[in-house]
Amino acid sequence: MSIKKGKNYPYGIHVPDRKSLTEDKPIESMLAPEKVYVCMSQHIGAPAIPCVAVGDVVKKGVMVGQASGVISANVFASVSGTVVGIEDIVNALGQKLTYVVIENNHDESQTLFEDMTDFSPASLIERIRLAGIVGLGGAGFPTAVKLSPKSQLDVLIINGAECEPYLNCDYRLMLERTDDIYKGIKYAAAALKINRIIVGIEANKPQAIKAFERFDDLEVVILKKQYPMGSEKHLIYCTTGRKVPCGKMPFDVGVCVQNIKTMIACYEAIDLNKPLTETVITVSGNGVKEPKNLKVPLGTPFNTLVEYCGGLSEQTMKLVAGGPMMGKALVGLNQFTRKTDSGLLCLQREEISLQSATNCINCGMCAKNCPMRLMPMYIESFTLAGDYKNAERYGAMNCIECGSCAFNCPAKRALVQSISLAKVKIKEMKKNG
Amino acid sequence: MADRIFAYSSSPHVKNPRTTKHIMIDVCIALAPACIMGIVYFGYMAALLLVVSVLSAVASEFIYLLITGKKFKQIIQGFDYTSCVTGLLFAMSIGVQTPIYVPIIGNAFAIIVVKMIFGGTGKNLVNPAVTGRIFAFISFTSVMASGWVAPSIGAILGGSSINPLTGATVLTDGFATPTVASLSNLDLLLGTGLAGCIGETCKIALLIGGVYLVVRKVISPTVPLIYIAVTGLFTVCLCGFDFAEFLPSILSGGLILGAVFMATDYTTSPNTFVGNIVYAVMLGLITAGLRVSSGKEVVSFAILIMNLIVPLIDKFIIPRPFGYKKAKKGGAN
Repeated sequence: MSIKKGKNYPYGIHVPDRKSLTEDKPIESMLAPEKVYVCMSQHIGAPAIPCVAVGDVVKKGVMVGQASGVISANVFASVSGTVVGIEDIVNALGQKLTYVVIENNHDESQTLFEDMTDFSPASLIERIRLAGIVGLGGAGFPTAVKLSPKSQLDVLIINGAECEPYLNCDYRLMLERTDDIYKGIKYAAAALKINRIIVGIEANKPQAIKAFERFDDLEVVILKKQYPMGSEKHLIYCTTGRKVPCGKMPFDVGVCVQNIKTMIACYEAIDLNKPLTETVITVSGNGVKEPKNLKVPLGTPFNTLVEYCGGLSEQTMKLVAGGPMMGKALVGLNQFTRKTDSGLLCLQREEISLQSATNCINCGMCAKNCPMRLMPMYIESFTLAGDYKNAERYGAMNCIECGSCAFNCPAKRALVQSISLAKVKIKEMKKNG
Repeated sequence: MADRIFAYSSSPHVKNPRTTKHIMIDVCIALAPACIMGIVYFGYMAALLLVVSVLSAVASEFIYLLITGKKFKQIIQGFDYTSCVTGLLFAMSIGVQTPIYVPIIGNAFAIIVVKMIFGGTGKNLVNPAVTGRIFAFISFTSVMASGWVAPSIGAILGGSSINPLTGATVLTDGFATPTVASLSNLDLLLGTGLAGCIGETCKIALLIGGVYLVVRKVISPTVPLIYIAVTGLFTVCLCGFDFAEFLPSILSGGLILGAVFMATDYTTSPNTFVGNIVYAVMLGLITAGLRVSSGKEVVSFAILIMNLIVPLIDKFIIPRPFGYKKAKKGGAN
């Protein structure tokens, strides 16, 4: 066992964490809803292809969507019941995606994989791929691909920073399912043939740090409470001192970063033979009557979650899928739990910022706080002027969209929005030569 | 429930509540001690000048916006107190003998020509208060640069209670001449017995304001500290390494007011840490150099010159992104 303090990284911000709303609430298993909407595109890459037909009776754990390529993932029925539709639905994020709609028949039995006999790296990775596991921290990159790097890596980092305000799902899991996480970590390390495992946890979670202390073969690194500590590049720097070069990936510096929930999913797939059919999500914010940490079947409509938590208050002004810093605003509750969801926030007037933008006063706070050391004010003004070449010259492509710049901007400018636009345009520009 | 409309925007959804308005109010609060000391030293005329200056600055902004077709309600909503800061700074950098029309004309120039025509808050190239002061100084030299009034409180540590010099805060009429030392450093610091501009004389009040701004994280202490130190040291160098010149040179004239409140103006100072260091060092060199060679108070001119160089500094000093490696040829551009 070893505990040490993480390296200091001077650029970042302090965000009021508002975690106390759900910090001490154990994860509750929510009853499966009457209908689930299982999305075929819950990951980065090609959408899964539905492999059931309307009218089929499926058991929980049966594959309903098959991965369509290497960067893709299988999708499973999260409840037993009848497939009543395969529909294209425009969700509250404004995306038109294919959903398999299953009407619950409350059959509790579940289809499982066969017991594993061979625990070689290749078969572990195969099981993880089969179970449809993707990075559950939000990116949704297929874990099997991440666990089969081109070159040998030497460090596995587990991201327990959870630096987003409000969210507590990783924290609760670290407390309640420490052993399961540990087993998952060991499988991931075995798949990567890595011995050195680092668990990075922010200093504001002493109980979680305590929970992981007892494992002799894990290095626990206590990270400063700072946003965005959970960003891959900064986590790697603060735990190992390695800098991921611009435009490169963690595996370029010999590191693989995995999320807490992903590790539990790996454990369940390998030891319990369960495919990925549920996730843990924090429903929080002052706009919901009883904020909770919930374990829910994938595809559960958000309005069911909100109703389970006592419903929305009249003053709710904003709905956010994910954390308040990087999450996406929802136009309504017409959205369905995905693998990558970690939070549903119902925010009231006093919690959000609604000020309109004023002139940039060149105060430099965005540049001072940018964890990637960019100059957001210039990228923004170039973007607004349509000069994407210069936006790129100022490093727009390095932006991790953490929102540190816009958080502190006294002129309340939509810096992240402009930079994301610049990124899209630069990519287009490169594609067209 | 399905029909409810929720607020929609790009992330982040939570933000620091501080806005430009709050920052500008903080600056006004930080200027208050020096203003109060100015009124204590120079009487009700100082208060009148301060009030007229602020009112004329705010009025200029309102009139400009009304002429350009903004609705009065919009103007009130969008009012961000920057013109109050400009007005205060303007009045603080003129002497109490100045006729009342000078701040009115000076502020009209500062706000309308220097700030609003360029696009309002944040778009100006040079600091409005500094430029307005220089404009007024050049236009009304005869009434602004003579007839300095000594403060009501005389020098504590002896020296003549009426400043023998007729210039602004010791410096204007002869820097690096023996008369500079006719006031003790303590008197220079407190401004007692020192004729000068309303807000410039009491350095300790300005420093209190500066500390307030640093504590409130409105400014970082980098620029003022480097600017003041470099000015002092370079003066020492130019005066033949006479370290007795160090304190008088930094406690004289408008250096502290300029360093704390004018050189740190967001809009007209560089955006990067390194850029700010370059900016502050150059400010110090220019100030000390011009002071010694001209014998006049030049802080505002130095700031004006550097304001114009800031875009260049910002063009060339860009921080390296995290994980930056030297770009291959043609990679960066």
